[in-house]
Amino acid sequence: MDEVIAHLHDVSIGYDEVLIKDINIEISAGDVIAVLGPSGIGKTTLLRTIAGLVRPLTGEIELAVDSRGGLGYIPQRLGLVGNLTVQANVEMGARVRTSTWRPVFFPLPQEFMKDVKEAMSDLGIDHLAQQPVRILSGGQQRRVATAKSVAQRPKILLADEFLGELDDDNVDVVMQTVKKTIAAQHSALIMVEHHEELAKEVANRIWRISDHRLIEELER
Amino acid sequence: MNRRMFFFFLFSFLLTVYLFNDLVGDWGRLSGGWDNLVVFFDESLWPPNWAVLEAQSYPVCEARFDIFCSVAWLGMLETIKIAFVATAIGFVVALPLSVLAASNLSPLAVAIPARVLLAGMRSLPAIIWAVLFVIIFGVGTLAGIVAMSFYTVGYLGKLQFESMEGIKNAPLESGKAMGMNRAEIAWLIAIPESANHLLSHLLFMFEYNVRHGTVIGLVGAGGVGLYLDTYRKMGQYDKMVALLIVIFLVVLVIDFVSMALRSTVNEEGDVERPTWSSIFLPAAISSALHPTPMNATNEEE
Repeated sequence: MDEVIAHLHDVSIGYDEVLIKDINIEISAGDVIAVLGPSGIGKTTLLRTIAGLVRPLTGEIELAVDSRGGLGYIPQRLGLVGNLTVQANVEMGARVRTSTWRPVFFPLPQEFMKDVKEAMSDLGIDHLAQQPVRILSGGQQRRVATAKSVAQRPKILLADEFLGELDDDNVDVVMQTVKKTIAAQHSALIMVEHHEELAKEVANRIWRISDHRLIEELER
Repeated sequence: MNRRMFFFFLFSFLLTVYLFNDLVGDWGRLSGGWDNLVVFFDESLWPPNWAVLEAQSYPVCEARFDIFCSVAWLGMLETIKIAFVATAIGFVVALPLSVLAASNLSPLAVAIPARVLLAGMRSLPAIIWAVLFVIIFGVGTLAGIVAMSFYTVGYLGKLQFESMEGIKNAPLESGKAMGMNRAEIAWLIAIPESANHLLSHLLFMFEYNVRHGTVIGLVGAGGVGLYLDTYRKMGQYDKMVALLIVIFLVVLVIDFVSMALRSTVNEEGDVERPTWSSIFLPAAISSALHPTPMNATNEEE
């Protein structure tokens, strides 16, 4: 049986009012989960709740991951630092694998830098390493955000529409790299996706949100 | 303008007139004021005594040009040095304090005391700090540097934490979710994200400190103000005027350089690159001479 890395018990999420209620679900290593549903239904809130940025209204979320570096999050706006270079952004991913007591001014150890370079190379952005992120195109920035998460090697990666603005070739490159990381790290990917066909193609589980409920549609 | 606005402005106007009258009390004091000014100007202020640009008699000037040993040069240079050192110290101290004061980077239990501390340092103008530190350190530049640094921390800290609070939420959320600690979030995300504003504020603060460096000298805290005060006490108003003209010109040049530098680090449209006419001429004339792209578009419409 696959290792369970997250468990949501009777969870309800939302802000002032409930968006999704009675979520009882397990997330296992190797899962690639696509979350589908119309805009404003609570998909992003679900990711932010699992990421620990929003408290669940009720219920409990158990995560079997390290509090530092165990969870990766690519928000809809990517969360990159525009004034820093591509490499500096990707290094942030690798940095959370080091001790929290490591002084922030210290450069990363060599072995971590190797992972940073490999992540940039896998996503085809190594030639942009010294460019500031703010000058890159939307698609390139998405690849940088993905490289940051790949260098982080999280147990759960939460990605909010991270395939948007990518052409078909780049979707393949990004998904291949992410899936390779998931397989190597025995981790899971939960991605919010608007394109249903694309979601069904890349995911092995589909969560559809409808009428304030999360329904598991496909499990293979 | 609706009726409510009209009455609001009318009330404000009448209140201002009443308070002004109340503060002045005896308007009779003004009679003869203009004549006094004319006499004072003719006999004491004008023409300026440009001896302030000549080398002082003691110590012996060893510089190639006399002006490098003049009161104006030495005083202004000292003021600029005080402003530079105080701005640098203020920036280094204000940066960590502003991280603590930013509500998106620190819990309120930390942010509120940090803000109170910054507000306290800012609440007293540099000249009051200067009076205090002249008492502690004696007359001279050290008192000026410490006084100006104190004020700079308070002022710059506020500008900095407001810039940090204005950064986008996504990088912060991504960092928090990843498990980055507070120092990493501040150093790797918040400071680089707000870097353009931080640099702009730093340059503005230097420019501001040069201007205020003149004032703190008046209470003995070093710089050109010390010479101004000496001339005032000795009744050498013509030299004082000459020095004021020099200060005006130097501050103008520093303003221009600072604005030009700030326009390179600000977001587009935030600060317009200055022209000489925008500094010397009233805004209406300057904008007519140099229409900005926005003005030009409006004209086309």
